[in-house]
Amino acid sequence: MEDLDRLYHERPKNHLVRLSLLAMIALIAGTWIFGNFVETENTNRLANVERFLNELRPYPLQDRNFDLSIALSWSSDLIDEKGWEAMSTTLAISVAAIVLAGIWGTLLALPAARNITAGFTYDPPKLLWTLIVGTTRLVLIFLRAIPEYVWAFLLLALLGPTAWPAVLALALHNSGIIGKLSAEVIEDLPREQLRSLTSIGASRLQIVMAAVAPAALPRLLLFFFYRWETCVREATVLGMLGIVSLGFWIQDARARNFYDEMFFLILLGAFIVMIGDVVSTLVRAYVRRAS
Amino acid sequence: MVEASSGQRRWVLLTLLVAGIWAGFTLNLNPAELVQGNPSIAKEFLVHAISPALDYESEVPTGTSPLVLKAVHAAWQTVMFAAAAMGISIIGGVLLGFLASSSLMIGTHRGLARSVRIAIYGATRLLITFMRSIHELLWAVLFLAAFGISQLSAVVALAIPCTGILAKIFSELIDETPRTASEAVHAAGGSPLQVYFFVLAPQTMPDILAYSFYRFECALRSSAVLGFFGYPTLGFYIAASFENLYFGEVWTYLYTLFLLVALVDVWSGRIRMGLQQ
Repeated sequence: MEDLDRLYHERPKNHLVRLSLLAMIALIAGTWIFGNFVETENTNRLANVERFLNELRPYPLQDRNFDLSIALSWSSDLIDEKGWEAMSTTLAISVAAIVLAGIWGTLLALPAARNITAGFTYDPPKLLWTLIVGTTRLVLIFLRAIPEYVWAFLLLALLGPTAWPAVLALALHNSGIIGKLSAEVIEDLPREQLRSLTSIGASRLQIVMAAVAPAALPRLLLFFFYRWETCVREATVLGMLGIVSLGFWIQDARARNFYDEMFFLILLGAFIVMIGDVVSTLVRAYVRRAS
Repeated sequence: MVEASSGQRRWVLLTLLVAGIWAGFTLNLNPAELVQGNPSIAKEFLVHAISPALDYESEVPTGTSPLVLKAVHAAWQTVMFAAAAMGISIIGGVLLGFLASSSLMIGTHRGLARSVRIAIYGATRLLITFMRSIHELLWAVLFLAAFGISQLSAVVALAIPCTGILAKIFSELIDETPRTASEAVHAAGGSPLQVYFFVLAPQTMPDILAYSFYRFECALRSSAVLGFFGYPTLGFYIAASFENLYFGEVWTYLYTLFLLVALVDVWSGRIRMGLQQ
């Protein structure tokens, strides 16, 4: 029993973790107690919800019994009219964005990885390179900190109404994430092998091309596909700003109070996100097997 | 082996490239259009990046709090919405994560109990996939239409996809945890619930916490974006200032968001390091 007490008191403790945990619990409890998230007034809310739920049913089916053939023809009309184009645009936005993000993210990862900037030696890094690492990392955090939706909102006004704002918004945000993750992968590569290349006179660039790139590529590919999943999810929403992806038609239906159409398009969005999920999981399994 | 794997990698890269070209053509992405846009506005906006506003760029009624204070207040609102949502999500995620864990739910059971459990497991999996497949903004749109603008709907809209993601990650963490301790408790007569709460939950707790803190960063960003739908978070002020062409103010709010996310990023990084020791 004494031993147990002793062990209990000697167990590893981390004050930062404990304090953070307490702070987090206090914050969450505080927001629920002091924020006015739980409202009790507004009594006709229930009636509103009931009305809303009825309006979610396809328009030709409202106020009558369910009929599968009507439902099917209603939804296939909607898919023919807007669905296909909106879905392919959404998909294309996500693909174009992840290709750009992959390229930019990898390029940004190189100056953000400390082992590359140190020239794969154990010498203390030069001031210039320390500055380069610091600035690149700040840029990466900034790219990542601004949400895709905000990037798209700003770019739309600056670049005009093409598909570019949506693509660039996703690409900027994701290159920040891919850049950070890739830099970590590069820093974790075995040091000795890379270092031995410097001793036979290889330059930084040569080492990056010949040793770093092949060794890090499988992991980077995993990140691309993992981020592509989220790109599909975000691409559906970016349309709400006026780019003709699914979100555009969702917003359009919402503005016209066609809640049945809005709900159907949202479900369509969920559907392609799920497809994206499955594809990405399969490809990632393939890449993992290959490496 | 090396040959084969680099060949497969080449295929994946090639497919990506082809897909990228297809996407470019589908969207009519023309690099020349990048410089058309509104060059004068673009230039003015970018110039303000180095000179964010410290004070309002227009006349404001006397008694309005200073811009910097307003930015801090907006940041605080952003944190509030995110934290309230995280509260729901962590609780929901741990509960659903239990039901979605294949090893716990299906495990070694036999007969009728097994089919019931498989049904619950399957339904939970489907539910959490559905929850995270709909973007938080779309949940927000649905709730706005159903309830009108209310703080609670914003929090729930944020919480639903987040719960789905946490439940998925938690169930995977549980499935990957070594089974020796839980098998011992199970053999000694522990029920699955006891095994979960007294063995697996403590074992996986560090990873669950680390991931939750990481997720908090994502919740912050989503919470900021909710401002575009009229909630008083940072997005609201970014949109309002930008539409009035007060670019300096926009940058002030953008940098506030940046600082907020960077702060949480550093914090959660430290916690992850602490938890992995």
